[in-house]
Amino acid sequence: MSTRQQGTILFTGILFLVATTVVIQLWLLTVSMEALLSGAMKTLVPAAAASTILLCINAGLLRYVFRFDRQIRSSK
Amino acid sequence: MNTETEPCTSCKKSEKWRDDFPIEWEGDNYVSRREMVKFLTLGSLFLAVANWVTALGSRILRRGSQNRQLLGSSDDLKANSSALFRYPTAKDPCIAVRTGEGKLVAYSQVCTHLSCAVVYDKAEQSLFCPCHNGRFNLEQGAPIAGPPTRPLPRIRLEESGGQIYAIEREA
Repeated sequence: MSTRQQGTILFTGILFLVATTVVIQLWLLTVSMEALLSGAMKTLVPAAAASTILLCINAGLLRYVFRFDRQIRSSK
Repeated sequence: MNTETEPCTSCKKSEKWRDDFPIEWEGDNYVSRREMVKFLTLGSLFLAVANWVTALGSRILRRGSQNRQLLGSSDDLKANSSALFRYPTAKDPCIAVRTGEGKLVAYSQVCTHLSCAVVYDKAEQSLFCPCHNGRFNLEQGAPIAGPPTRPLPRIRLEESGGQIYAIEREA
């Protein structure tokens, strides 16, 4: 299997992982909105912190994608 | 005579087109996946920002509800009785209760089940929702019977100089 094909499979996996975390973030935002309307303020900051952690995971994966891409392009 | 040169010029044009768009079919898929990850990460950033805006916005709203409001004289609220008031806005009905032991507590009057008005039940020493027989204790406003699952929001009160003040609405 060529490096490019391996990269395609890897990127597909990363894409699904990032999509899953975005769905979780969307759920966190929905729960936060519901908590805000019902006056349960204690859950809002932990939800925002969890969302930020997921953002960091996504940013790390995106950085990995760019680094991998740069390696492929420079090896050509 | 010219027939040998003509295919070559068209061939060169084709090569120039390929130079302008050098991405092959497989590579094209590869690029769109990468772009999709970039787009999703951007979406992730927006969602995280929206979460923080919600959290910090609620703090600002909460700070706005910390205004001190005079409810009345302490003598007006006898032991084992209740009084209704609105706090922090005119749209937020609340109930203050002086228990049999003389302790003063106040909660939102809106039941956390389906928003009916709760009333003070002297016999049971609790707050009662007549719509679905929900019941909350006076110590913490926690649900003790019926369908409600969440406690009533508490209103912090302060007694000073023979007057009762509402000072903060807790979550």
